[in-house]
Amino acid sequence: MNNDCHKHSPILLRTFIGVLVLLTSLVQAGTPTNQVRQTTDKVLEVLTQPELKGEEKAEEKHAKVRRIVDKRFDWEAMCKRALGRHWRGKSQKQRSEFIELFGALLEKRYMDKIDNYSGQEVMYQDERVDDGYAEVDVAIITKPGKEIDVRYRMHKASKQENEWTVYDIVIEGVSLVNNYRSQFNSILNCASFDELLEKLRAKQE
Amino acid sequence: MLSQCRVKLHVLFTFATTILAISAYARGPMPKGNAKSELESGPAAQPIDVYDPLEPVNRVFFQFNDRLYFWVLKPVAKGYKTVVPHTARTGVDNFFDNLQMPVRVVNCTLQGDLEGTSIELTRFLINSTWGVAGFMDPARNHCQIKPRPEDTGQTFGRYGAGSGFFINWPVLGPSNVRDSAGRVGDMLLNPLTYLRDPAGLRYAMRGTERINSTSLQLGEYEEFKKGALDAYISLRNAYEQYRRSAIRR
Repeated sequence: MNNDCHKHSPILLRTFIGVLVLLTSLVQAGTPTNQVRQTTDKVLEVLTQPELKGEEKAEEKHAKVRRIVDKRFDWEAMCKRALGRHWRGKSQKQRSEFIELFGALLEKRYMDKIDNYSGQEVMYQDERVDDGYAEVDVAIITKPGKEIDVRYRMHKASKQENEWTVYDIVIEGVSLVNNYRSQFNSILNCASFDELLEKLRAKQE
Repeated sequence: MLSQCRVKLHVLFTFATTILAISAYARGPMPKGNAKSELESGPAAQPIDVYDPLEPVNRVFFQFNDRLYFWVLKPVAKGYKTVVPHTARTGVDNFFDNLQMPVRVVNCTLQGDLEGTSIELTRFLINSTWGVAGFMDPARNHCQIKPRPEDTGQTFGRYGAGSGFFINWPVLGPSNVRDSAGRVGDMLLNPLTYLRDPAGLRYAMRGTERINSTSLQLGEYEEFKKGALDAYISLRNAYEQYRRSAIRR
């Protein structure tokens, strides 16, 4: 009886470890950090492709990056949070126009940053998860001795799925959403919503 | 005349510290890191209200600083950049940074961060010798010792001082009441302040520091303006957020 047990235990143990490894890898794939990492790796892959180098390929490169980033960034949530209380009471048309214009501005800023990419390293520092919200801290090494701290604020797309999406980016302690909200608030204090849309439109050129 | 002025500043500084220490005693030091409660509220990006009674004046100085950058600092820094290679400019940047060790050491100590104090002293020793008078940063690049950039404004904040109101100084840029008082402290702790002979040397050093650091950041201000709808409001908010997070850290 004792012998039997000894014979079986290595197999049992191996199966057990196998299942454990499988489970942890499944769980790992679903963590906010890993999802940020996957997206970042994919973007970096596009950026370092030699056949996508140069001005004339910029369009194609941007389109590829956009497709990857769109999955991880919740642009609508960003817009909603940036507009804050002014989001309420706006018509569907106004909202979708705002999302389009502000989304384009955010995207343009992001693409400008990406065009300057020259092999900077990304280090994953920390992660905090609390129910449906998470924060992922990364450090971008811009040059030896210089780091930029970036925090991704994320939320779960839905309760069932384990998909996390970014609704705010905090660079060196400065939240992008918060910064735009202060600007929108200030502008809307003395101008109409349509005037704000006009200002956003002017930024496109 | 000059030393009299310095004494006055010193008195002012001591006075400010005392007040802050008293108010800190009443409130207790700020808690470090508060991610949990921030997360619980979900949005996390609570709007920051910046008290700005001087807005009209601040906006004028914003315009002034904007022009100062585009008309003076940028062209000069560009010229400097073409003459001085990048490595040398990073070296100069490191040199001025190393020189300000007392600011960081004193403020780490005042904040009770003794680890920070010893880190800064160690960095100074390594970089001043092995790093050739601070021009290089072997402490970071070889020994992985990262700096602790604490300043007097952060010390005031740590002990509970609020920002007061926003001040956009001409030439110096965004600040607030707390950080302006802090700047006086930083100045007193900066060895460059005590440089007397020859008369113009101190100003030459300060000028070099500014042009050198501008040359390393060319394009950043332009990019910031491109993304902003109201650059003044954006700067004001970013400054406040940045300082709050620096104090919390």
